[in-house]
Amino acid sequence: MNLYHNVRAQWLAYLVFYLFLAAVPLVVDDNFLLNQLSTYGVYGMLALSISLCWGFGGILNLGQGIAFGLGAYGMAMTMQMQSQDASNPMPPFMLNNSLDHLPLLWKPFANTGVGMVLALVVPTLFCLVFGGLMFRARVSGPFFAIMTLAMLSAWGTLILDMQPYTNGVNGITPPAPLHLGEFTLDPYSPTAYWTVLGLLVVATVVAKLMTLSRFGLVVQAIRNDAERVRFLGYSVAGYETAIYTISGFFAAVAGCLWVTLTQYVSPAQFDTTFSLSMVIWAGIGGRMSLMGAIFGAFLIQGAQSYLGDAFLNTWLLILGAFFILVVRFLPKGLIGLVESALGRLGRKRGHDNGGSVPAQQMLPQPGE
Amino acid sequence: MGFFEIRDLCKSFDTVTVINQFSIELVEQTLCCLVGPNGAGKTTTMDLITGRQKPTSGQIMFCDEDITGLDEHEIARRGIGRKFQVPAVFRDLTVKQNLEVACSRSTNPVKNFFRFREPVFAAKLEEVLALTGLGPRLNTEAGILSHGETQWLEIGMVLMQDPRLLLFDEPVAGMTEQEIEKTAEIFNRLKKTHSLVVVEHDMAFVKQIADVVTVMHMGSLLAQGSIGEIEANERVREVYLGDAED
Ligand SMILES: Nc1ncnc2c1ncn2[C@@H]1O[C@H](COP(=O)(O)OP(=O)(O)O)[C@@H](O)[C@H]1O
Ligand SMILES: [Mg+2]
Repeated sequence: MNLYHNVRAQWLAYLVFYLFLAAVPLVVDDNFLLNQLSTYGVYGMLALSISLCWGFGGILNLGQGIAFGLGAYGMAMTMQMQSQDASNPMPPFMLNNSLDHLPLLWKPFANTGVGMVLALVVPTLFCLVFGGLMFRARVSGPFFAIMTLAMLSAWGTLILDMQPYTNGVNGITPPAPLHLGEFTLDPYSPTAYWTVLGLLVVATVVAKLMTLSRFGLVVQAIRNDAERVRFLGYSVAGYETAIYTISGFFAAVAGCLWVTLTQYVSPAQFDTTFSLSMVIWAGIGGRMSLMGAIFGAFLIQGAQSYLGDAFLNTWLLILGAFFILVVRFLPKGLIGLVESALGRLGRKRGHDNGGSVPAQQMLPQPGE
Repeated sequence: MGFFEIRDLCKSFDTVTVINQFSIELVEQTLCCLVGPNGAGKTTTMDLITGRQKPTSGQIMFCDEDITGLDEHEIARRGIGRKFQVPAVFRDLTVKQNLEVACSRSTNPVKNFFRFREPVFAAKLEEVLALTGLGPRLNTEAGILSHGETQWLEIGMVLMQDPRLLLFDEPVAGMTEQEIEKTAEIFNRLKKTHSLVVVEHDMAFVKQIADVVTVMHMGSLLAQGSIGEIEANERVREVYLGDAED
């Protein structure tokens, strides 16, 4: 049997992986590096969200930047408002855009709690409504992917155009880090790193449990043959909307975290290249494996930081070519190599014991 | 009103009328074989019953309820299960997972989020494995099953659903003699507790299982009755049985 499909082994792999990551601040002194590594955690969460939607649900989403960006803007507005007070109620850029009072859109963000909730609820609600409409109309496959891409551009343009409210192309740069009561989350501290990692762990555990649940099983069946699932009594649109929305929620969390780390957001977060990168991370790492996708994000973003400068103009080409190669020859991504290696190992051990394991005694295969 | 009834069903694709004023009535706990030459509209009738296609006109009643035009999943939940002509299983999932998906007692996505197994699954699985003999293949990916095994798996999935009315579209196509024998046995057992509609070409098989035979021709009802009556029917012999029987 293949250890790769053993649920206990998978949990153990997560444990080792995250313990290793948790130990990083103990050896890394450079706070700028630590901040960079924290952002990788955010990218990991994005890759996880893509893996859920595309890997498990078979729904290719080229517009995950919407949920990420809306979450990020919500958080940026919240943090910006933390720097305003009664004597100075408006963010400086609004004055430059000749607004004379704080717009209604911004008012709820004056309260940090409300602002943070909105930063998560708005993108999630958007996914629920947009996904609901699309999936009910049985838009699927490449058609859905194109719709998400179109939606992404629409949101990017909208935010760019609402200059007085969003500061247009310059984006929002909250002057101070997020503070919650007495506590200030210094983006260059180990605390920030562990916060991101902690939330990534929670997201991974929730996502993993979800793929093991009956919900996850039905979602995987839909990936195989949505038509057939209907005749078993499941509302396919309901399941598709649910997985798309949950995936969007994770992306919104990632957006919030990203702003606390960078203190910056702009319409660039709605760029198609960014949303496509998320898909590439998951595709290269292994979209059908949560950990594979997360690893893919670390790998590609890491490589980009160190090699991207050397190949400035050709980086996207190299990435694209690599992506095509992986998709063509390793449909399960780099993690697929681990699967086949463990498979070979298992077979060899089976033979050493004088025969293969009887089929009935095999452990049930979970949804990887 | 009864258990299941189709009234004046019509279906046209553009200008072509595929189902034309088709009506039948089914009694509970019987097995009805739907026969007819290729292109007679048997598969289309099943599509109309299960909601895959919407009828142009006519009515489909199931358990005193009008189910015409409902969505596929709503019809399935009311207790109509279907096996497709081209076996349709989830290829990436194991045989066991396929059966787990088919065991669809709870279909709410939010509730299923918190469920890891279906309470009735274990008992149901035993029953289905006993009937289909898929036990040794339980952890095999469905994509690598043989054609016959895929047929069994899909039959197993329909049984897992535990519907009141089961529709089988050419279930023994591509099966060996022994497998056909076994299928006949399963159907004969099933019809004691369930109602079945089976589309089939093989008249020997039909004879083994059918309580009632319905003959379709060019989208309309040609004849209905016991196998003996159908075999004696002149018009049926003309369009369909003629060559096959001699
Ligand atoms: N989607 C469709 N569009 C047009 N014609 C169709 C469609 N589906 C089936 N038909 C036609 O309807 C007729 C009946 O088909 P079908 O129900 O598959 O027959 P059977 O299952 O009895 O062999 C055939 O002539 C077929 O060409
Ligand atoms: Mg047919």
